[in-house]
Amino acid sequence: MIEPITIGLIGLGMLAVLVVIGMHVAYAGAFVGLIGIVLTIGARRVRDGDIFDVIEKGWSPGLLNAGTVPFSELAHYSLSVLPMFILIGYMAFHARLTQGAFYCMRMWFGHLPGGLAVATVFATAAFAAVSGASTATAAVFSRVAIPEMLRYGYPPGFSAGVVAAGGTLASLIPPSGILVIYAIIVEESVGKLLLAGFIPGIISAVIYAASIMVRVKLNPALGGEKLGDVTWSERISSLGQMWGILFVVAVIMGGVYTGLMTPTESGAIGAFVVFLLALKNGMTKGQFLNGLAESAKTAVMIITIIWGILILVRFLGFSDLPNVIKELILGLDVNRYWILLAILLLYGVLGMFMDAIGMLLLTLPLVQPLIIALGFDPIWFGIIVVKMVEICLITPPIGLNCFVVAGVRPDIPLSSIFKGIWWFFVCDVLTVALFVAFPGIVLWLPNQMLGAN
Amino acid sequence: MVLPVSDTPFARLDRGYFMIEKSMNYIAAAFLFSLMLLACAEVFMRKVFNSPIHGQADLVEIMIPTMGFFGLAYCQRLAGHVRMELLIHKLKGRALWLAEFTSNFATIIIVVIMIYGTWTNFLNAYEIGDTSMDAQIPVWPPKLIITLGFCLLLGRCLIAFCGYIRLIRHPDAEPIGVPISPTVSDIAKSEAEVARDAIRDEDAETRR
Repeated sequence: MIEPITIGLIGLGMLAVLVVIGMHVAYAGAFVGLIGIVLTIGARRVRDGDIFDVIEKGWSPGLLNAGTVPFSELAHYSLSVLPMFILIGYMAFHARLTQGAFYCMRMWFGHLPGGLAVATVFATAAFAAVSGASTATAAVFSRVAIPEMLRYGYPPGFSAGVVAAGGTLASLIPPSGILVIYAIIVEESVGKLLLAGFIPGIISAVIYAASIMVRVKLNPALGGEKLGDVTWSERISSLGQMWGILFVVAVIMGGVYTGLMTPTESGAIGAFVVFLLALKNGMTKGQFLNGLAESAKTAVMIITIIWGILILVRFLGFSDLPNVIKELILGLDVNRYWILLAILLLYGVLGMFMDAIGMLLLTLPLVQPLIIALGFDPIWFGIIVVKMVEICLITPPIGLNCFVVAGVRPDIPLSSIFKGIWWFFVCDVLTVALFVAFPGIVLWLPNQMLGAN
Repeated sequence: MVLPVSDTPFARLDRGYFMIEKSMNYIAAAFLFSLMLLACAEVFMRKVFNSPIHGQADLVEIMIPTMGFFGLAYCQRLAGHVRMELLIHKLKGRALWLAEFTSNFATIIIVVIMIYGTWTNFLNAYEIGDTSMDAQIPVWPPKLIITLGFCLLLGRCLIAFCGYIRLIRHPDAEPIGVPISPTVSDIAKSEAEVARDAIRDEDAETRR
């Protein structure tokens, strides 16, 4: 007689093996989930019998159960916001928003110490408001901001580090794909998570900018030449370059905050406006079709991993493993912040080997119940986790954003980018510590949401 | 993505199949774009004319699995799905192809089972005439599309199955018919290309 919990543990081990040998996370999850569902259903029906009795009893109901997952778990309205956000990001590429944001921020912040670098950070934060993809943000700013910083004598590694770090802000500032995925997997409100990302995103940008200013003060050689003076009327008129971004921010944040529009509708209107801007900016038919095909491919990738993992989640639920692990860890006689620290370190390590989406989807089914049982707020934890993902984007050996910047600028060696990034890594760790110490920073805005309890 | 140019029958099969996958992905893209238009239209009708589009939410819900399964095989061919590449990128030659063969084989098993499971699910919906909650839209078409998407994926996995066997026998031959997982620098390169396409050189210099 096999206990469901044993099946759960064996399943987890098998999952780890399949993922490590390189099976796609979605299919590995579905594979283990499916076998697990068959066995757990069988084990509950057969009290005395061998493994074949268990399989025989579980086979048919198990397959039927798993077969319903793709439709029943995907046909949810809240999921539809994902393709919209992906589309905004691809269209924003062609809408000249990058240059506009950079130009405007440079008018406003160029006079500060390390002004161009500070302006780059705020411009990436602004662009993050129309893009949910960190790597894409880093790529476009490598094209726009690095040449300017080099021209004004900023060191190459430093300039590249600013762009790689600034790019990560796209994961936090709405529209953020990863926050929506988190919301769907842990069954929290998409709108609340999107709102929750806004202030922490801005705080992250401000901390980056402050660190740049401090470093330039300490070591003026980092700061390059000073920019010329700018009048206030120039500043005000430069805002005109930003209206596309400001409009999208207003629609998405406003729509979600007031509850007048669903996140999907806000995303759709944002995507439509950015699409019109891209048309105006001369997006070709080829670029449009390419962007659309790429958006579909990204959407398919995310949708696939969601149903794959949800089959696994169903199995884990049947096996009762999440509960057992939760009880086991709650039984430890330690302060809950030690457990939180352990979880964050786990993410730090996993992130070295895995893509963010895969990492979150594989771990959250087990981690999430634990976090709630420990009395942490799930919305707050979403922001912390995404912050960890951002850290992974700039830390070696994967540090995807650094690779992307090096891909756009082959003249800047990767090693110097990793050297240029490490201050931003310290900033990120401090930011996470700040949010852990003061959860109110994260939770204030979502709690103000109209209609929220 | 540049596909191999070899002119063996197998390479032609791979390319031909890719054309089907590509068109299916464009259907998924069309669904994505219509989803945007539908949501915009709904807001417009609701806010301006105070008359929401009947059944809009149901339609949106049904469109997600439809989109997700039309593009499934295309994403597979272009190695677009998330995986952990740590080990794969360390392996070379026959060991690499053996590892890929193994995970592809496991994928075939799961896809075959899912075809059966989702087909049964479709049949149930078709026979009892199951519809969506509000607008009573029949739900069997999207359920059928899920099964079809799995079938298309199965074809892709079978082509890869043959491709890996060929590569296990001749590890140094040109890889044909198998998705090649991009390394971190490949991803960086393709991001750079997209950025270059979007921001032309003369544009990259913002004026002062």
